[in-house]
Amino acid sequence: MDVRIPNLAEGISSGTIVSLLVREGDTVKAGQTLLELETEKAVAPIPSPFDGKVEKIEAAVGDAVAVGKRVMVLSGAGSATASEPQATELPKRQVPEPVALSKPARSDAGYRYESPAGVPPPSSPSVRKMAREMGLDLTRVRGTEPGGRITAEDVRSYVAALQGAGPALVKTAGAKVDFSRFGPVKRVPMTSLRKKISEKMLASWQSIPHVTQFADADVTELARLREKYVKAYEKAGVRLTLTGLMLKAIAANLKKHPVFNASLDEEAGEVVYKDYCHIGLAVDTEQGLIVPVIRDAGKKSVLELSLDIATLAEKTRTRKIAIEDLQGGSFTLSNQGGIGGTHFTPIINHPEVAILGLGRASLKTVVKMGKIVKASIMPVSLSYDHRLIDGGSAARFITDLVEAFERFDETFVKLEGTSKTAAKPKPARKKRKS
Amino acid sequence: MDRIDSEIVVVGAGPGGYTAAFYAADKGKQVILVDRDQSLGGVCLNRGCIPSKALLHASMLVREAREAGRMGITFADPKIDIAVLRGWKDSVIGKLAGGIATLAQKRGVKVLNGRGYFEGSNLLRVETQEGQQFIKFQTAIVAVGSEPAMPAAFDLGNKRIMTSTEALDIQDIPGDLLIVGGGYIGMELGTVYACLGSRIVMAEALPSILTGADPDLTRSVKKYAEANFKEVRVEAKVIKMATQKNKIKVVMEHGGAVKEELYDRVLVSVGRKPNRQNLGLENTKATVDEKGFIRVDSQLRTNDPSIYAIGDIAGGVLLAHKAAKEAKVAVEVICGEASTMQDVVIPAVVFTDPELAWCGLTETDAKARGINVKCVRFSWAASGRAMTLDRPDGMTKLVLDPATERVLGVGIVGYGAGDLIGEGVLAVEMGATARDVAEVVHPHPTLSETLMETAEAFYGHATHTFVPKRNPEAL
Repeated sequence: MDVRIPNLAEGISSGTIVSLLVREGDTVKAGQTLLELETEKAVAPIPSPFDGKVEKIEAAVGDAVAVGKRVMVLSGAGSATASEPQATELPKRQVPEPVALSKPARSDAGYRYESPAGVPPPSSPSVRKMAREMGLDLTRVRGTEPGGRITAEDVRSYVAALQGAGPALVKTAGAKVDFSRFGPVKRVPMTSLRKKISEKMLASWQSIPHVTQFADADVTELARLREKYVKAYEKAGVRLTLTGLMLKAIAANLKKHPVFNASLDEEAGEVVYKDYCHIGLAVDTEQGLIVPVIRDAGKKSVLELSLDIATLAEKTRTRKIAIEDLQGGSFTLSNQGGIGGTHFTPIINHPEVAILGLGRASLKTVVKMGKIVKASIMPVSLSYDHRLIDGGSAARFITDLVEAFERFDETFVKLEGTSKTAAKPKPARKKRKS
Repeated sequence: MDRIDSEIVVVGAGPGGYTAAFYAADKGKQVILVDRDQSLGGVCLNRGCIPSKALLHASMLVREAREAGRMGITFADPKIDIAVLRGWKDSVIGKLAGGIATLAQKRGVKVLNGRGYFEGSNLLRVETQEGQQFIKFQTAIVAVGSEPAMPAAFDLGNKRIMTSTEALDIQDIPGDLLIVGGGYIGMELGTVYACLGSRIVMAEALPSILTGADPDLTRSVKKYAEANFKEVRVEAKVIKMATQKNKIKVVMEHGGAVKEELYDRVLVSVGRKPNRQNLGLENTKATVDEKGFIRVDSQLRTNDPSIYAIGDIAGGVLLAHKAAKEAKVAVEVICGEASTMQDVVIPAVVFTDPELAWCGLTETDAKARGINVKCVRFSWAASGRAMTLDRPDGMTKLVLDPATERVLGVGIVGYGAGDLIGEGVLAVEMGATARDVAEVVHPHPTLSETLMETAEAFYGHATHTFVPKRNPEAL
């Protein structure tokens, strides 16, 4: 039976094989990871559909493979029923989808022409030249003629669609620099994750008018609370961190200021307020930035949040994160405290409208109730979408948040009431130790 | 010392060089064209494509006259007057070269006869018969071409050991001719000399003649060679050559034995080497690769910002039409246009009997690179036109992408394949699908119908052949 690259998620059409975990002749168990695929969003393990033997491996590490591509042949207990759903995931023949002139096809945003033979997308030499002159990458244009051939009209429609979508997708201009003229250089291809980050950042930066608001929070008390309860949490199987505590405060503050948890639907001219609060947590990995999402942060206790943080951070660093874990965020927290630095201007994770950046807390002398005292001061930065949020709202949000950090309600940290619910997600502990 | 200023100087007036010079002039540039030969047109016109095709046409007449017996038409054995044949061939060259000179003149392209030598990144010295000329240029296009390679071991200074240059001059018709190298040049000239009456032994070092072309396409050509050459030896290695009176003694290893034989002439066609000597490249920033070809990017730029290189000297496939396309791209790039050689489809034609032509992806290449393709073939035995020409020994093949039905490559062997491949190149360049080729009306009765019928065969409904229904999954 063939093992093909499955449909991983909406908008993901290909990936790069980053590891092959089996060899020809190996026996494998159902669910055992055969290979790992790096997609634009994450590294996804591809499991074996059944117990069997690896007959043939038809791909190598580093290969770019499209959804539906056969990568392995397994023999053994593969029943017909197991292969059926796989077969439906074969790439469809490229059926031309006419692009309407007036309404740009938004679903085409991630379209990429891929040719195993390494040929350019089907189009006449004159159309290819036209695209070159415009600095247009034809692999992104979906052709409407038989076989997906791109006509001059398709190129015009695509450009019209781009203009409708704003400047976000316009290729960066500027002359190519031959750096080797100035000294020795090394060229390394961008990973698909890096390309994705680059595209997302550019799109967010170009489409959102950013304003960043700064504040300082005295986290002396918060740090003391952490110290006080860290042992108890350890017993419950998780490390209590400042991030865990602050997430609780952030979620509460988002509930109080719902516009920071909203999104803009420009086409409909509406503001989308969300009843849920999923907070993305920017994680720094060797491969680059990944933002796993903590679901329903507002409904979770500090213990549950701490467990979530540990699990997601571990999954992210070991590149086992699932696509769903990266989707659906409504606000993002980028905590650089563990690394260092003070205030910075984080870029909003579109379609969210705000992002919180936290720096490293440091001991400073401050005046409190007329006295000069030592305090642990943490730099707080809030970037917001000025189309939706005004400066006054942002100032109120950050002031409330600082206050919530400074006067953190100890009852949220206490474990008595929450220890029962904490028993369930225990596997997190096992994972951390492995 | 005379010094002229020029916007563009083109060094070498072969099909690359004169195309570049004319196109640049047409685009309003001031151009000087430099060539060491009095006769313009380069190797292609003077010592390559054109003379070989003239001779091949003449030899085809001999073959056709001989085979007309099947149709009840018989001729006496042909009398071949070498001097007249050579004269006719030279007159073709003369007319074409004269045409190029006239076209240059009409465009205002100044032609300088003499060897060009780069004194620097913007200065070319030309050794003309009237003395040295210095050209201060803004941009130079180097198109100095290549010449036949002659391994030192074979270079005895004996005129009986020829390269293609001498062979095209046909001094005489040798009784026994050894051709070393079974590539396209050896095969084309072998065809000419076989028709003129030479007994030909071909020695190829690799396991097959015409390496690189798909084996199903070369089959007809091999068959012809086996029938008309005395012998075709593959995996044969010439060890030594020596002059023995008015013959050449050749020691060759073949089939596990060492043979010692005498030949009247030997043609060495083992490849071509770039003409980079005495060019002064070292006085510029242009660099060459390990084989001596000038390094260029996809826009024909060398490492020197004011120097471009095109054609054989820039490496890649050594074909005149590739040089001409590069000429156009280089001129457009110089004029600031977004042109590139990337993804340009360059067809290959071998003027053997029958002709062999292909473009785009070959089946051999697809296999080597693990690309999943579907190949469809149409035998000319089912073509009415091929039958009326008494040439059913042809085949047309499409290399298709099974998912999109896109034509990735076309291969043709048969009478006039070189002229037919043009449609194949158009299909590949345009990203046509098999459906497109099948839907286009092709005139009857012509050989071009074979392209349409091949495409129809992919869908299982070629009119003139029956394709058993296959499992659609297998497509």
